[in-house]
Parts: sequence; structure tokens; C-alpha cells
Amino acid sequence: MSKKRPLSFYLLAAFFGLFVLFLYGPFSAIFLLSLQGPEGQLTFPMRGFSFYWLGEVFQQQRVGDFVSAFQRSFLLGLLVMAITVALSVLAGMAFRSKFWGSNLIFYLTISSLIVPSILVSLGIGIVFSLLGIDNQWYSSALAGHLTWTLPFAFLIMVGVFNRFNPSYEEASRDLGANDSQTFWQILLPLIAPSLIGVGLFGFTLSYDEFTRTSLISGENNTLPLEIFGMTTNVTTPALYALGTLTTAFSFLLIGVAVAAFQLLSHRQEG
Amino acid sequence: MNIGTKINSVGKTNAVCDLGLTAQGVSLRSVSKKYGSFVAVENLNLDIPAGDYCCLLGPSGCGKTTTLRMIAGHEDVTSGDVLIGDRHVNNLPPAKRDTAMMFQNYALFPHKTVWQNVDFGLKMRKIPQSDRRTRVGEMLELIGLSHLAERKPVQLSGGQQQRVALARALVTRPKVLLLDEPLSALDETLRLRMRGELRKIQKQFGMTFIQVTHGVDEAFALSDQIVVMNHGHIEQVATPAEVFRTPASQFVAKFMGDQNIFTGKVINCIADTNSDLIELDVKGIGSLFCRGYGAVIGNEAACSIRADLVELEPYSAATSIPSTKQNHISVRITAVELTGYVTRVSLMAEKTGQELLYKVRTDDWHNSSLQEGQLIILRWSADDCIFLAH
Amino acid sequence: MKNWKNIQPYLLVAPQTLVFFLFLVIPIAAILMVSFWEFTGYSMSPAFTWDNYAAIFSSPVYLATYINTFKFVAIVWLITLAIAYPIAYFLAFHVTSLRWQIVLFLICTIPFLTSNIIRMISWIPFLGREGVLNQTLMALGVTNQPIEMFLFSDFAVVLAMVHLYSLFMIAPIFNSMMRIDRALVAAAEDAGASGWQIQKEIILPLAVPGIAIGSIFIVTLVMGEFATVRLMSGGQSSSVGYLIRTQIGSLQYPMAAANAVILLLVTLLLVFGILRAVDIRKEL
Repeated sequence: MSKKRPLSFYLLAAFFGLFVLFLYGPFSAIFLLSLQGPEGQLTFPMRGFSFYWLGEVFQQQRVGDFVSAFQRSFLLGLLVMAITVALSVLAGMAFRSKFWGSNLIFYLTISSLIVPSILVSLGIGIVFSLLGIDNQWYSSALAGHLTWTLPFAFLIMVGVFNRFNPSYEEASRDLGANDSQTFWQILLPLIAPSLIGVGLFGFTLSYDEFTRTSLISGENNTLPLEIFGMTTNVTTPALYALGTLTTAFSFLLIGVAVAAFQLLSHRQEG
Repeated sequence: MNIGTKINSVGKTNAVCDLGLTAQGVSLRSVSKKYGSFVAVENLNLDIPAGDYCCLLGPSGCGKTTTLRMIAGHEDVTSGDVLIGDRHVNNLPPAKRDTAMMFQNYALFPHKTVWQNVDFGLKMRKIPQSDRRTRVGEMLELIGLSHLAERKPVQLSGGQQQRVALARALVTRPKVLLLDEPLSALDETLRLRMRGELRKIQKQFGMTFIQVTHGVDEAFALSDQIVVMNHGHIEQVATPAEVFRTPASQFVAKFMGDQNIFTGKVINCIADTNSDLIELDVKGIGSLFCRGYGAVIGNEAACSIRADLVELEPYSAATSIPSTKQNHISVRITAVELTGYVTRVSLMAEKTGQELLYKVRTDDWHNSSLQEGQLIILRWSADDCIFLAH
Repeated sequence: MKNWKNIQPYLLVAPQTLVFFLFLVIPIAAILMVSFWEFTGYSMSPAFTWDNYAAIFSSPVYLATYINTFKFVAIVWLITLAIAYPIAYFLAFHVTSLRWQIVLFLICTIPFLTSNIIRMISWIPFLGREGVLNQTLMALGVTNQPIEMFLFSDFAVVLAMVHLYSLFMIAPIFNSMMRIDRALVAAAEDAGASGWQIQKEIILPLAVPGIAIGSIFIVTLVMGEFATVRLMSGGQSSSVGYLIRTQIGSLQYPMAAANAVILLLVTLLLVFGILRAVDIRKEL
């Protein structure tokens, strides 16, 4: 493949560059604007430079109760992540063998991605209200999030197990390990790096989820809902500061996940 | 499913004319290929005559595939010239070079039928529909797959896929066919059969075939001319018989296999009628005599003797004196392996510990009374022993 | 032992399937049921009436909302495809080292792991009355007063949706293209195909399954949209999702459910249409 680069390479590279600018440009704008002085506005030019607005986020009277909304979203994210990883690993293992009804279950799982999110939210809301149960972030919203994270996690796990060489387990059983020893000693350590990916997916999809939560969060909002509510009544750069902080948190998570992935796969290869 | 019988049954005695195929030679002039600081091929000079079946033979990474791809135009040359016939083709795209390539795993278009695959090159060249239909039909008839024209590649066996790839390459009437390890994807039995069919097709059409392979047997069986390559250089260009009988370098001798190679210092060189008689001082063994050219007294060099040209005789101190006609060394038998017609006897030189090989007809081995562990004399004629300058 | 082996997969898949049964199948069944109920002004009561559906199909306002939603789907689909195909092609065929392919693909992916709401908000400094876009246009002399339509318009809605969802088109197309054997391109060149013919004959047909998967994502994401429509149009534009949200706000559950059923049917119709045209099973 070492032929001279054609003109199309440079045209496409430029197009790619523009696309990256399109993706990241708006981010950088709110990042900069959140660092303005106290007299800052919602648009450029920047008026002064300070951490005033980042501090302002934590003042409850100014922008609503950001801190407790963040705590709720964080806990919910961890809950969704744990359930997603556990259930998708089990389901992925089931799909290593062909069983009667496996196609039906496969399509049921995929269909959760195809159903518009607002329907899931509405449906769960109706079921809860018919049963007379209150909507809460840890019940109805958790249910809504799982319908969104599980299909992705399931597809990843099916892919992981498709590439997994079964002779490792056969060797383990040959050497006298039982099913549970084989699972904990051989299988789990080998798929651990992929689980980091699934976990990151589960957490961020939940942490950023809006539509599926929108009708069923109950009296206490998750963070995205809280921010959405603020867009109508907060007209200061505090809104941007909030955006900067949550985005920074997302980046931090991605960083941690990548580092953990590297560490685990490195350890595997010795 | 035999291409030969298919051709006969159609009654075409001169397929060359019917399919409009003619051959051209290929020349490389000081061709080099560099990837950054890595030199894949360096200063290659090679002439492949029209109508030859030429194999580029060597271990992986020797530059043989790069060379083939430079002829095809899938790689640019860093310096030097590629000529096809007498045309300078350095700056021509693959399709304008009158070459066609058969790819390692065939690269059949998975979304197109057999017919569409074979038709593709003609369609791209905007050949009229009616001509295309005739030519594709003829080609499928020739490879005996007319009945599978509407199948997709995944529905074909390995051998059938290989024929479609061949048909797709031949249908544009190339002057040179380039084959990149065409048999490596097939199992042993099929490989032997398709090998025969490739050779038959090449002879039938009198086309120039240039094939990349790492299999010595394959190169021996197919080639008019073998090009042995190593580290981006050509080690030897010769007929299979010549490569087999007189390898040009230690690398070629080792790569052929079944050769016993001794390295030492040239201490004497006597001009003779056919070739020079050269005396080599081998550490721990003493003098060995061999024949060849280009020996420089005092240089490190080597000699090699084919494992089927040595003989064993019972040990006796008296016979183990070197002469200019015969080489002798004392060896111990370490293992005996029956491979069918031939038995392979592993030996170890008593003084140096070097591993050596003796190949003998199985029947002859059974008639001898030699045993594993026995100390014996390995003897061979100086005339059979090839001097290797490097 | 044999018995255990037979039921093992069912036990393993049971928890996940239970989640989908409880929180996907039953809720959708509930929506279907409630869509036939009556609304009494402040609550819903069990009944079997087609009135909700009749109201939707007889109201020009509702129908216009549906048309508007389809319009968003069509425009966003077209733009994301136009962006995603060249981006995926560049990554898969022009970037030759696997390491760089991964790095560049991750650069495209990272923004999609952050909050959609924040990503919408981040357009305000660009599109607002005194935003970067207006200031640039005025500095260039293209216009002498700020253009109001950038923020709070259909334009802003489409722009934000493209920004939010283009990865869902890029990733599947990139995946399809990465599976194309490079030798196929060399073989096509060998056969005399031009760059354009290679696109048409080899790469596009083999990328079609990826395009189909991406299209399914875009259709389902945009069909159910309401946050982007609400925020970026400033409440001036509407979509079925937004309509449902508003009806829930005034407790009109039966109407919302009827709208949801129609929305689901239309979405499934589009998805099955795509699946009929393209075999995507090999991609899964």
C-alpha cells in the first residue's frame, strides 16, 4: 500500500479536519466562556477571566440543586453499570451455544434500540402509574436506563465471546477445574478488558441519558434533566460552567477507563 | 473437473489463438524499493523471457511479493525501471500494463456472481456487451464452471474459487500473468492437482507466468526459471535442475534443504578442465575438497553436498584419510526416519557435533546392517561437492 | 448433567430477558392498551374507543407535526450520510496504520460519550444573536444586522441533531468498510477500474449493510426526538416526541399513547423497509 497519496487523500483529510472542528468547536467555546469574569455574558467576546462561574455552580440559589442531582446521576450510573455488566456477561455466555428461542431473544434485545426512546419512557410511566407506584430515579428511571444500556452491552459481549477461544476453558476443565473455577480463574480475567469497555458504556450512557428518563424521573431530577430545566431560566455563564464541569467529568471517566483497559490487557500479555 | 479434458472436449486444439492471448517478457533494471529506511528490494536486475513460467522463491520478507506487486503496478518503484515487452511501465497504472494478477486469497468480489467477477475487467474497459458475453462464456467454459455462473464466491469450493480467479485474470487477455502464492489457500491434495492445472494452462497458452511462492517443491514443479531471493537480493536465477544441482550460495543450499554444508577457509585452488578443484580447511574436521569457481585463498567460504550423494561405510581408521577425489568424515547415526521411498538418516559429526543428513532408498537401507548409535564413515566424491563462495 | 447443559443457556439469559419483558414489552403493551382509553379532563379511564386516533388523523395541527418530524428525519439522514461516508472512507482506506485509525476514530467517538444537553447548549455562543456566526457574517459584510434565524429555528435543530447523531452513522459504515479486503481494491484496479468505478462497484455495495444500520439508528433517534426540537427551536418547531411530552404534561395519557403507537408503527415500518432492502445479518 505504498503508492503516492492521491489528491483525494488531501481533500478527505481536510474534510475530516473540518468535521473534528465541528465536533469540538462548540465544546471549546463553552469551555472558554465559562472562565469569564463575573460580568460575563452568554456570547463572545470574553469578558475578563476568572473561576467565578465555576464556583457559582455550587451555589444552590443561583443555578438550582446541581450537587444533589450530580450525586443521584452518579449513583444511578454506578447501579446501571453494575447491572449491565453482570446481565450482559451472563446473556453473552448463554449465546455461545445455540438454543431454542435464541433468535427471538436476540431480536427482542435489539428491538430495544429500535423503539424510539420516548416510548420507553412513556410506557414505563404508564405501567408505574397503573400500578400506583411512584416514579423514582432508582426505580422507574433505572428501568428506563437498562433498556438503553443492555442492548449495547449485549452486542459487545456477543462479539467478545465470538472471538473467545473455547479451548482455554476446555483446557481448564481438562486440568480438573469445575465450572465456577473455570469462570472465575480463566474466563473472567480473559474478558476483563472488554468489561471495562462495557462498564464505561453503561455508566456514560446512563449518566448522559435524557429522553428515556424524561417522563419517569420522579420528583428528584437526574443531572441531564436538571440541566435541561436550567436552560430556560439560567441566562448566565453558570450554565456553561456546569457544562464544562460535567464534560470534564466525562473526559475523566474515559481517561480512567482507557488507563484501566491498558493496564488489564498489558497484564494479560505479560 | 479437469481443465485439460475440458479444453479437449470443446475441441480447441489451439486455444492461444482463440482467446487472443500472446506473451511478453518482463525486465527489471536496477529496481529498488524502500519504505522509509527499510529496504525491501535492492538493485534488482532480472530478465524473464516471454512464455516462461518463472517462480520468485524465498522465505517471507525476502522481497518476492514486493517485486511482484511492482511489476503489477500495485507498488511504486523507488528507483530503477520496469519493462514489459519493450515498454517502460513505471508510470502506468496496473490496468495499462497488460498484466493481470491472481491474488493470494483470490480477492473474488464477494457481492458479485462468478459471471460478474469474470466480466468485471471487461466491463471496466467498456468492451461492448455482446463481446463481453462471448468472452466470459468462453472463459467459464474453459475452466469448466459454466454451470456455476450465477453462484456467489462463498458458495464455491476452494478449487473452484481458484479457477474463477484464474478466469478473471485471463479474460482481459494479459501478456503476463502474475500469481501471488496462488496455491497457499488450498489443502495438500488440491494443491497438487491445481499445481498441475496451472502448468497445463500456462503451456497451453504459451503465456508468461510469474509466481511468488515459498515452497521449494512448488517452484521445482512449475518453473522454467527459478529466482531465489533473500533480504531483497537475488541469490540465484537458474532452471530448477541447476538450482537443485548447483546452488549458487550457502543461502540457496540451505533453503533447498537436504544439503550438508561445511564452512571453512580456502587453502588451495587448482585449475582443472571443467572447474577448479578447491581445498577447504574446516575447523575440527580438516581438509575437504570441492569443485567450483571464484575461490580466493584465505577467504572464508563453504561447500555443500546433497544428502542423496553421500555414502556410508563401516568405520576404519585407515580409510578416513582425505584425498583430492574423496572426502571422508567420521559420524555417528543419531536417528532414522522412514518417509516412504526414501529413508532419512540423521548423523552427527564425531569431532564437531555438526548435524548431517544421509538420504537413501528405503530398500537399500534395509539391506544394510547399520544401526542407530553406530560410528561410521561418511564418504562423498569431491566432484559432487559444490564450492560456495558466500 | 445433560439436563443441566440444556437449561443452562436459559438460566443465563433469563435476567436480561426479564428486564426487557418488564420494561419494554409490558410498557409497550400498556401504551397500546391506554391508547384506546378515554380522557376525562383530568384523568384516564378504561374504555375501548378509537376517538384518540380519530382526533389525531382529523387534526391538521397533528398531521403537520408528523410531517415536520418526517422532514427532520429525512434531512438529518441525508446530511449525516453525506458526512459519514467520506469520513468512514477516509479512516478505513486512506489512513493506513491501524494505530492511527483507532486514534482518529476515538477522536470522533469521545464527544458522543458526553451529555447531549450540554452539546446542544454549546451551540448558543455560535448561533445566538450576538454569536460567532453573526459576528463573522457582519464583519465580512454579508449582512449588516444579526440574523435571528440561526438559533431557535429548524436550522438550529438540524444542525444540533447532525452534531449529536453523526457518529451513529459513521461507526457502522466504518465497521463495514474495515471488513472490505484491501485486495479487492487492488483486484479492481488490476481490472482497470477507475477511482469512481471502484467506489460504485466495490466499496459502496459492500458498505451498504453499514449504511443500513446507521440509517436505522438515525431514523429511530430522530423519530422520538423532543429535547433537541424543544431547546434548539425555542419551542417554535414541533415533533411527535415533543407533542407526546406536552400531552403528558397536561396528563392526557390516552392521546399521548395513541401518538406513541402511531410513532412506533411508522418507525417499525421504516426499519423493516430498510431490513427488507438490505441483509445486515453479517454485520452483527
